[in-house]
Order: sequence, then structure tokens, then C-alpha cells
Amino acid sequence: MPTFVYMTRCDGCGHCVDICPSDIMHIDPTYRRAVNIEPNMCWECYSCVKACPMHAIDCRGYADFSPLGHSVRVRREEEKGTISWRIRFRDGRVKDFVSPITTQPWGEKIPKLAELARPSDEDLNSQLLWSEPDALNIDTGLPVMAKEKFKQGVYY
Amino acid sequence: MGSKTVFEDCDILIVGGGMGGCGAAFEARHWARDMRIVIAEKANIDRSGAVAQGLYAINCYMGMQWNENQPEDHVRYARNDLMGMVREDLAYDMARHVDSAVHKFEEWGLPMMRDPETGRYQREGKWQIMIHGESYKPIVAEAARKSVDKIYNRIMVTHLLMDENHANRVGGAIGFNVRTGALHVFRAKATIVGAGGASHIFKPRSVGEGMGRTWYAPWSSASAYALPIMAGAKMTQMENRIVLARFKDGYGPVGAYFLHLKTYTQNAYGEEYESKWHDHTKAMVGEYIDHHPTPTCLRNHAFLQEVAAGRGPIHMVTKEAFQDPHKETVGWENFLGMTVSQAVVWAAQNIDPKYVNPELTTSEPYVMGSHATCSGAWASGPEDLSPSEYYWGYNRMMTVDGLFGAGDALGGTAHAFSSGSFTEGRLAAKAAVKYIRDHAGDKLKISDQQIEKLRKAIFKPMENYQVGRNEIVAGSVSPSYILPIHGLQRLEKIMDEYVGGISVNYMTNEPLLKFGIEKLKILQEDLEYVGAEDLHQLQRAWELQHRTIASECVAQHTLFRKETRWPGYYYRGDYLKLDDDNWHVLTLSRRDPASGEWEMEKAPVYHIVD
Amino acid sequence: MITNNPIADVSVFIPPLAMQLYVIAMLVLVVGETVLDTLHKKSARYFFENAEKSKAHRERELSGGEKVSVALKTAAHDVLASGEFCNSRRRIAHLLTMYGFIIFIIATVILVFGYPAAIGTTPAWVPLLWHLGALMVAIGGYWFWFSIRVDVAAEGYPWYRMVRADLFIVSLLATATFALIWSFFQWVGAGALAVLFFWLFVIASTVLFGSVLWSKFAHMFFKPAAAYQRRVSEADGSRDNLPPPADQPEKFGLGIKRELPRHY
Repeated sequence: MPTFVYMTRCDGCGHCVDICPSDIMHIDPTYRRAVNIEPNMCWECYSCVKACPMHAIDCRGYADFSPLGHSVRVRREEEKGTISWRIRFRDGRVKDFVSPITTQPWGEKIPKLAELARPSDEDLNSQLLWSEPDALNIDTGLPVMAKEKFKQGVYY
Repeated sequence: MGSKTVFEDCDILIVGGGMGGCGAAFEARHWARDMRIVIAEKANIDRSGAVAQGLYAINCYMGMQWNENQPEDHVRYARNDLMGMVREDLAYDMARHVDSAVHKFEEWGLPMMRDPETGRYQREGKWQIMIHGESYKPIVAEAARKSVDKIYNRIMVTHLLMDENHANRVGGAIGFNVRTGALHVFRAKATIVGAGGASHIFKPRSVGEGMGRTWYAPWSSASAYALPIMAGAKMTQMENRIVLARFKDGYGPVGAYFLHLKTYTQNAYGEEYESKWHDHTKAMVGEYIDHHPTPTCLRNHAFLQEVAAGRGPIHMVTKEAFQDPHKETVGWENFLGMTVSQAVVWAAQNIDPKYVNPELTTSEPYVMGSHATCSGAWASGPEDLSPSEYYWGYNRMMTVDGLFGAGDALGGTAHAFSSGSFTEGRLAAKAAVKYIRDHAGDKLKISDQQIEKLRKAIFKPMENYQVGRNEIVAGSVSPSYILPIHGLQRLEKIMDEYVGGISVNYMTNEPLLKFGIEKLKILQEDLEYVGAEDLHQLQRAWELQHRTIASECVAQHTLFRKETRWPGYYYRGDYLKLDDDNWHVLTLSRRDPASGEWEMEKAPVYHIVD
Repeated sequence: MITNNPIADVSVFIPPLAMQLYVIAMLVLVVGETVLDTLHKKSARYFFENAEKSKAHRERELSGGEKVSVALKTAAHDVLASGEFCNSRRRIAHLLTMYGFIIFIIATVILVFGYPAAIGTTPAWVPLLWHLGALMVAIGGYWFWFSIRVDVAAEGYPWYRMVRADLFIVSLLATATFALIWSFFQWVGAGALAVLFFWLFVIASTVLFGSVLWSKFAHMFFKPAAAYQRRVSEADGSRDNLPPPADQPEKFGLGIKRELPRHY
């Protein structure tokens, strides 16, 4: 379902241009609204659909194998931490789904490592990464394996 | 275009801000408070890489805290799935660290599902845990954003830069801004490649609009391989492409269906078919067919044989499981969380798995290093684990000094997936910091000459187009240039027909491969004449260059390995059997940057456990 | 300058009747081309058919009163207050140019038809409005042109790159700018320059009003219809197939959406 843009909803804000991982959402030179310039390089990842503040972007399944008349639309609400979907089949059946997308205020629980305690030079030579071994939640420390256990040959 | 140049002098450059790049960026700050750390990202880091769309599962989690699995179990599992061969040091190293990354993801806000009875993470299978991961990538990207000095979004990195004061040492990277057209020169003491693997090197099953619906993201343009190859790094296991058995057309994932929903496959006549092919497969691969779980390629092999025998299509039996409303919800949300297309296909074709058993298909091949195969650069393992053939001083450093890798870029580490790629990034970053400290006295030299030569090459496709365009009235047909899409389609056709794609049922042999390599060389000559109308097309032109170089590497490796190691992924018609006596080895290649000639060699496989 | 009636000076070399005919001609052009555009593109038919199509998915039928109330809301929020713009800077810029343009047009009509030649007798507030309107268009318009315009903001194009979508804004800005310069030269007594910029003003405004078929000018008729239909679909539950908003409190703040779309 490559994406397309509803003429009646797009206000040309540029959010889809900014987010598209495939660089295919661009501004149309005649209408100054968004357009998918390369539908065959669209993964239907919905990044632009979710980012559009106007719900102006939708997908129509790839013409190779998707008959018309379907709809899979989404409402991603960051403040609520939810994503809601409505699937409408070609024959009219409808299915709704809602899932969480975060459990924490965005970014708040992610540390700025520059502000935490510095590691020592010795730590740099160890095999431990930041927050380890504590973050592994085990008492036995980082697992290790003696080099001698490495053997050449065929093992099934 | 390219008249403006932006210089960035940094300590650590991370090329590609996917899961691996974000892990590297985040971790690097912990070890290097005083260093300048930057990311060069092709798209927008909030939605880039293979996880842009989200994930519904984290496929690599040990669960050591609940004694569910240990790192050596993971090594056994990955080794078995790849028919006996992975870099076990790298696999073990990733596995022993991966849990700490997953625990942090949960702390940061990633919604994990929990088993209501045990309170543990909800297992999908032995290694997979289930998540509501629509925002997996934005959450992880935020961690990277908090650690780095600067993120350069929309930079298509085209080449690595080489230090002119020390032989075989990387000095950063160069590329262009897809929006402004400025040339970006990154001079860095260490470079970590976290770029993407290769979709669209083999012709996909859908070639119209649907060519975008490849299993792996269309923006995964093989830069993970082309950048190190062009710098003269050694590559490993590049023949080990992967073919996915997936829901037809949308390539919707089957993991949750098999493992969690307990759906199963049958042929068009409602029969179980895998056991039928046991003896046939055993004659090809020996006792690998008796392993549990059955290696993925061998299950593919049974699928292909059954279809070739005229009893296709293969169906996933969903009707039973989907009577349970909870399972039905999981089945749909699984797609909405990571492959929306499959929901679209089913809505469009009126397929409700509650009432219809959907069709499966086998995909075109992909080359990548983070999912269930292990193509990528040959890199050093950790000091405490690796035998001498696998160790040269810095964990995850390639055979070019100062050049590190993570995710798709690293060879030998199968089944890392999202969490493992992030972990590899962390490991690479720590080692890169150590490398920079140890080489504090080094003065790098990137001459203007090197930069100017590359500037000319980088913007040449636009020049080709502008000049050549005068020759024709209009349209896309020119005798003097080809468009990136033309080159891509030729590449896909060559790889498909000569290197074992779908149209030949994944079959190839020495004569075919030699023809294919010759055609790839001619394609590379023609790529000098790619025409790019604008900056977007210039990005496509360079993605094509990267795909083509990686493809040649794939063909060379496929030619070198004279056996059929992974039936179901590809077949060497001239060596239709697995050959452990001669080929229980990792294949290595190096392309001489000056001559373009390839050298192939074998490297030993070391095993950790019986 | 700002209380000076610029039209009055022009009447020395252009008869007021000609000016009045010109204004009427522009009006006819705009109306005519808009009607032609609607017929040619069949946009009215699209709106009608789309409304019919969405009827199948609506959860309830709107009463006549509700439809009026939706229309009033559309007028108050979307049309009069540019509420459709998600970017607040863009909304402010649009309000400036829109109201500036309306004020400018009304003032021009009053001047051309009411005080075309009566030097010294024009009430000060009319030219004052005329200048204020032009100035508002210029401020909102140049702000938009140099920094808010999506081609510059998100696409990274230089400000001087021009495409067909710019026909409307460029001719609008040229009209307002030339009007102000013309009035300035007239005020300082630079006769020849005043005449030059007057004619540039006439050319710009002719392009502005005459290019409806090719420019984005027609959006002022298209957009209210679109906004009305969107509001109807929300009120009757058809929601253009969108899922309803989730029933959860807003407690997580903004993630990706907190930043402006200019990551390059």
C-alpha cells in the first residue's frame, strides 16, 4: 500500500518529508502539498501516516496484489501513549485495535550519560558495558568462557 | 551541487543511526566524556533503519535473570540454525550482554508484555519476547540523541575516507546532504559502520508498485557492506543469503504465528509435508536435518520441494488458533506493529485468518548480518574470548584499523536482531574509545586531493544527467546515461538469474556465477554513466553503487564455496551436497581497492561447546 | 505617506473609469476562472460523490441544525481563523496575509470607486487601511517566503528557488510590495519612479487575479469545502475511516512531534 495524500486534508506542513525513511515524501511543485514521488520504493512503514498532524496520508495497497476498497488507518497519540488502528476489509468488515506505545513520558527515563559517574581507566579495559553487571539482574557477574574451550572442527 | 562543503572534525563517527548506530552512540558517551561523537544518518534518526516501522517482538533475549537461557545456549542455537557455522566468540559476547540492553529499553518506556502467571517477559518462543514496539525506534533514538554531540540527518555517506599517514587506517567518511546538496566531510579518529544490509539486490517477487514491499526495508541499501569493501576490509559469509518463508505478498512475519499462536503449515491438500522430505534432505545435508529446532533453511527446502512437486500453495493453518479472541488480537497486532502491509493485503483480499488459512510464500534472497544469517565484515572478537585468528586488539574492529561495525555490518553474528545489534554497537563503541586512547598521538591526514577526487565522483551522476539530457527531447531513454532505477533492475535481474534468485528456484552453479560476475563488472562500468536528475535520485544512484559492489562480493563468495551448505537459501547445482570435510569453514574475501580484484580464503570455525 | 491616497495621483494620467473597469475586470477574472476551474477539474462533483460515499460508514445522521452548526464552526475556526494549520507560525503568517489582503482589496475598491480623483478630500482612514493591508501582506508573506514555506523549511531548498506553486504567493507579494513602493515614491515626489512602480503593481495584480487557473488562488474556495466535509465526517462518526481517539489520559508529553520538521 504505497502512501498517497488527500488533497482535502494536506496543509503542506512537511512532517512527512521530514520523517520518511525512504526519502519519497516530497512537496509537489504545483500544489505545495505532499506527494509520494516513488511509490515503488515505499515500504508502507506508515512513518509518514503516523506523523501527519492532519491525517492527510493514507495507504492504498500495492496495485500488484491489492484489490481496491480496503482501508487501514491509524491514529498515533503521543500524549496518551497509544496507537489506534481501524482495518476495513473490501467487503466492509471492520476491526479496531489499540496498543500502548510507551509506558513513560517520552525520553524522561533515558539518562544523559555525560552527567553520571565517570568510569575508571580500569573499567575501560574490562568487558563490562555501562550499567553492567547490575543491569543483567544476575548475581554471578558477566558470563565468561575460557578460551581453551574453543575447538576447531565439526560440531553438530 | 556540491559547491558547499561542511567539515566535521570528531573523535567518533557513527555511520547509520539504526539499532547498531544508536547503541554505539549511546554507549560511547559513557566511556568518552571528552570526545566529540557524531552520527551521520541517511534519513531521520527517529524513524530510520530496519526498525523504523516498529517491532512486535525482541528476538534476542536470554532471560538469564530467570535462568531461561545462557549465552552458550544461544551460540548452540545460532550455530545450528546456520548449519554449523557462526563466529561463536562474537555470538557469545553479544549474548552475554544483550539482557542489560533489553532491561534498559523497558526502563526507558518500551512496553513489554508479561506472562500473567509468572510475571516474566511474555515469551513468544525460546528466544523471543513480545513487546508493543511501535515506538521502539524513537525511544532508542532518544537515547542516542542524549549522548551525542551532533546528529547529521539526511546524509548519504558514499565512501569512507582513508588516513594518508598510516596504511590501512580509516579516517572518517564522506557523503552529501540529500536536502541541501552540500558535501559533508567527516574526519574522525574512529568510525563505526552501523549502516543497513541489502534488500533489492535480487529481483523481488513483486516488480510493479509492490517492489517496495520487500521483506527487508528498501532503504537497506547494502551500505553496511559496500563501505567496508571499498575501504579494503575483509568480508565473511557473504554467500549466506537468507530466504524467508512469509505470508504471501505482504511478507508478514510468521514467528508469532508459529511460536505463540501455535499455527502450523500444510500443503494445498491439507497434508503435513515437512516429514515427507526428511530422507531426501538427509541425503543432501546428513544429520543436520535431525537437529532441533530444524534449521530454517531446511524447512524452506521442504517448502520448496513440496511446491515443486505440484502440491502448492503452502498454507498457514490459522483457523483453529484464531477462534481464541486473544490470539486473534495478537495475530493482527503483530502485523500492525511491524508489517502493516500484511494487514492491508488481507483487508484488500478479504482474508480473515479466522475463516481462511492464508497462503505462505518464500521471498527473494536478502543479504544481511543481523537477522537469521551472518553476512558482513570480518571483525575482531573480545580479548577474553577469541582465539588468535579472531582477535586483533579491539572488539568489533574490522581488518581496517579504526574501522568498527555493528548490526548488519558485522559478519559471523547471526540471530542478533534488534537488541543484539544495539548491543554490538555498544561493544564497538567501547572498543573504539579504547582504540582512540591507545592511539592518542596519531596525526591523521585527509588531503584535499582525496576529498576533491571524491567530490567529483559523488556528484558525477548529476553532471551526467544535466549534460546528457540535452541529447533527448524528453522521457527516460537516453543513449548516454541510465537512471538509478534502470541500473537497479538490471542488477536485480543479474542476481536473480545467475546468483540464485526466485526465477531459478534459488539454483546456481559455477558457469552461471562466472557469467553473473562478468555482467556485474559491466554493470559497474555502466554505473559511471548513471544520471541523477535531483538529489533524491543522487541518493538512489549511490544506493545502487553500494548494492552493486555488495552483490559482486556475494557472487564471489557463492562461487568460492563449493558446496550446498544451506539448501532452502540457495543451491549450487554442481555441488548439491553439504561438504563438512572441505567446507566447515568461514569464507573470507577482500577486494583490493586499487585493482578491484578479489582474493578469497578460508578461515577456521572455532566452537565453544559441544 | 500612509494617509495619502495613491489612486488620486494616478487619475492624472488614467481616467477613474478605466481604473474602475480594471477592478471589475479582475473580479470577473477571479470568479470566471474559479468557476471554470471547478467545472474543468470536476472538483464540485468530487465533493458531492465523496460525501455520498462516506454516508455508508457514518454512525449517525446529522440533523439540519447540526449541519448548520458544523458550517458555522468551519467558518469561524477554519476559514476566519486559519485553524487548519498545524504549525502556529504558519497560522499567524496566514492570518496576516489573509486579513491584510482583504483589507487591502476593500480599501482599494473604496478608493477607486469612492475617491478616484478627489485630491485632498479622501478621509485619512481609507489610505491608512490600504497601506496597513499591504504591509500586513508583506510581513506575513515575506516571513512565509523566507522561513516558513515548506520548500525552504523541510525540503531544504534555497529561498530563491521558484516553482509553479509559488505563482500565487509571488504575485501576491509583488502586488503588495509594488503598491507600497509606488506609494512611497509618489509621496517623496519621485514622479517617474512612482509611475514605474505603479505599472509594476498593475502587472503583478493582473498576474495575481488572472492566473487563478494555474495558481493556488483557487484554494480559498476549495479549502472551506474540504474543512466542512472533514468536520461532518467527524460529527457523523464516519471519520474518513479513522479509528476513534483512544480513551486514555494525556500524560506522556510529546515525543517525535515536539520538534519542527527540519531534520537535515
